[in-house]
Amino acid sequence: MFYYYLSLSLKSISRQKSLSVLISATLGLGIAASMITYSLIYFMSKDPLPHKSERVYHIQLDNWSLNTAAIPPDLPPEEVTWLDALNIVHAKQAKFQAAHAITWGMVTPSDNQIPPFLGIIRATHGEFFPMFDVPFLYGQAWQNYPREQVEYVTVLSKSTNQRIFGGINSVGQTLPMLGKLFTVVGVLDDWHPSPKFFDVSLGQFYPPEDLYVPLQIKAELELPHGGNTHCWQTDIGDDYHAFLSSECVNFNLWVELASHQDKQQFEAYLERYVEQQRSLGRFPKATQNSVLDINQWLKHKEVVSSDIYVFFYLALLFLLVCLFNAASLMSTKFTAINSQMALRRALGANQQAIFSQCVVETILLGCMGALIGFVLCLLGLEGIKFLYPNFNAFITLDMPLLFITVMISILSSVLAGLVPSIKVCRLAPAEYLK
Amino acid sequence: MTRNIQVFINGLAFSRIALLPMLRTLFRQKYAMAMVVLQIALTLAVISNGLFIVSQRLDVLQRPSGIDEAGTFALTSSGFTESFNPHNSIQTDLAELRQMPNIVNAVATYSFPYSGSSDWEELQTVAGSDQNTVPAASYKLDEHGIEALGLTLIAGENFTPGEVLWQTESNKTFPSVVIITTSVATDLFNTLDWGSVVGKTIYINATYSAVIKGVVQQLQAPWDAVGKIENSIIYPRVITRNSARYFVRTKANTLQATITEVEHYLASSNLERMIRNVQSIQTIKKQVFGPDIAAITILLVVISALSIIAAMGIAGMASFNVLKRNKQIGIRRALGANKMDILGHFIVENIIQTSCGVFIGCFVALGLNVFLVSQYALPKLPLSYIFTGIVCLYLLGILAILKPAIKAMNISPAMATRSQ
Repeated sequence: MFYYYLSLSLKSISRQKSLSVLISATLGLGIAASMITYSLIYFMSKDPLPHKSERVYHIQLDNWSLNTAAIPPDLPPEEVTWLDALNIVHAKQAKFQAAHAITWGMVTPSDNQIPPFLGIIRATHGEFFPMFDVPFLYGQAWQNYPREQVEYVTVLSKSTNQRIFGGINSVGQTLPMLGKLFTVVGVLDDWHPSPKFFDVSLGQFYPPEDLYVPLQIKAELELPHGGNTHCWQTDIGDDYHAFLSSECVNFNLWVELASHQDKQQFEAYLERYVEQQRSLGRFPKATQNSVLDINQWLKHKEVVSSDIYVFFYLALLFLLVCLFNAASLMSTKFTAINSQMALRRALGANQQAIFSQCVVETILLGCMGALIGFVLCLLGLEGIKFLYPNFNAFITLDMPLLFITVMISILSSVLAGLVPSIKVCRLAPAEYLK
Repeated sequence: MTRNIQVFINGLAFSRIALLPMLRTLFRQKYAMAMVVLQIALTLAVISNGLFIVSQRLDVLQRPSGIDEAGTFALTSSGFTESFNPHNSIQTDLAELRQMPNIVNAVATYSFPYSGSSDWEELQTVAGSDQNTVPAASYKLDEHGIEALGLTLIAGENFTPGEVLWQTESNKTFPSVVIITTSVATDLFNTLDWGSVVGKTIYINATYSAVIKGVVQQLQAPWDAVGKIENSIIYPRVITRNSARYFVRTKANTLQATITEVEHYLASSNLERMIRNVQSIQTIKKQVFGPDIAAITILLVVISALSIIAAMGIAGMASFNVLKRNKQIGIRRALGANKMDILGHFIVENIIQTSCGVFIGCFVALGLNVFLVSQYALPKLPLSYIFTGIVCLYLLGILAILKPAIKAMNISPAMATRSQ
């Protein structure tokens, strides 16, 4: 029976070619508009560490002065001080813990053929790598070194390794930079988490750094403070180490707990820590620690800009207009075949049969709409990449999106065709047979 | 009662239009009519809100920054050897650049409008930590800064070379004089008489004091941290770091040539440093406003596609009606209606449809705006945008039905005699 309806529908579509194309094109346009905007939201809010995002936490402590707020109205700063970063990391209360900050410095490869360049560097504890599942091509990360130990080791990004060592396994090689001689211990594979959740200070879709060095190097070589630096004390003196021992925040602090249940225990530890520091004369404000998991953190940072949501709602209205349009076109289409339907009714087809045939036809139109919508969607996403060069790294249509596109298209087609179909099957045959 | 209305209507100029029968026909095709009306309503909601967002973004894009945007560029000079002397390098480079024939002036500064980073200071007119403060972004420029950026000094004087402090980053010695923008002057002293502000003392971050030496017309902050983009303060300071940023203003129409010349000169004049990030200010501005440009483009595409879809919907229904009423139109023509009557009929029918649509559309547009205001902190939609949208939709409707209506107008009265 289904094949019979299918062949009838195909005939009907090919008979009213231009009208059918118009209906599917209208649907396709609406679907493309909403899918393009939806895919932006989908990609931007995609979980960067799906298997453990609920137990990797961003830590904030409120070390601000009594009458001011680090972030209005009264939120703790998003980074922590050098002191807190080291204290908490070296207390080892979590499975993995790492504080990190962005900095930069001159990289001067020993090969004279390779011009020196300004490397963007992330100074971090070694547990940064296993915590964020950073993929290694060669070698491995360093362990979290003891607090006072300074080791001149570095991990290179894949492109930096290409630039300096021509892409070979450079583990064990030495690299002069920042005026010292560093040993390469690891080379990363392609790694571009989007959003760049672990440090959004330079932009949520900013590429990862060129090189990684142990956090202690930053203090030892007095490397510049990149990212956000935020102070409330006005007079901290000129010395680099005065900055490190001040209440200035610059370090992103992250921990990974063994399980989600350990969160309470860790929060209790943080409270005890703040209490203990308060007894030393720090933390003048009431305790206000914030422990957000990755997705909570991304939401807090509003990684998906409100523009995109506005586009999405406008695109939904657009889809609705296309639906109404397709509905009136379908009504025309079915009205035009009234007499044919009446004939089928007169020959014994019941209302349900007529209705089923109409639904099959709308599903077919929906499939055509999905096809057109898919092509338009691809074009539209190219346009988006052109408009937002930052999004280039992560926009591709994947299977779930494709599936959603097809389903929405068929659904909207059936919805649009519902009332006309009902109208057609409830016709009194006699009138149209005259 | 009905007769009275009919009498009244007959007295009007458009009395040849049979309004009541027309309404009756329209309301008989409930479904088709509802679809078109809903399309118009949603289209109005989207285009009025969309156009409003577009115009807001355009305002931001077109806001002048106070500097000569068309003729300026910036570059970074990064020294990387132990022996590199940033102070000497900056002095030599700037002296050389200022001599070049195509260059108006050049200055070393890490901040300029659109550069995206600078310190924000709190200014006050009375000393003490519990006073009201005015936020301002700080620029550090030498005596060439005003000319290099292309600012207009409207009161007081420029810095003298003697007042400019050459400092390393950690040196906290504070200059004795500052230049402020008119916006800061108004915020601090609540006056429009810029001359009266010169010579007054202000306090910065409740720690330092300085005398206002001059007032510039406009100089936007490098980034809008607190919603006070027009508030800037200039210190006579040059901070020397291994990595320096130069801001260069060229003579009219020589920008591209000068960029090449300067890059080439600097790269070869000192081999202990590298030249990076050579970009015209307009390029930097485009990057800063990238998301706004993208938003405008996307919204305009959505608005035009939507208008086309809605117009197609209206045109489709009109041509369907013309087809269906072929014979009726023929009869009307045979009974004495002229071509204009038929055309008028379709136009009025369209106006009725559009009116129903925009009536509902006003509520949808306002509802959508209330939603966007509450969720995404968008400003309230001014009614003028709804009116603009309504006018556009009436025009769009009439344009859309023009072709089918003209076709209807040209139906021959002989149609009356044919069976359908």
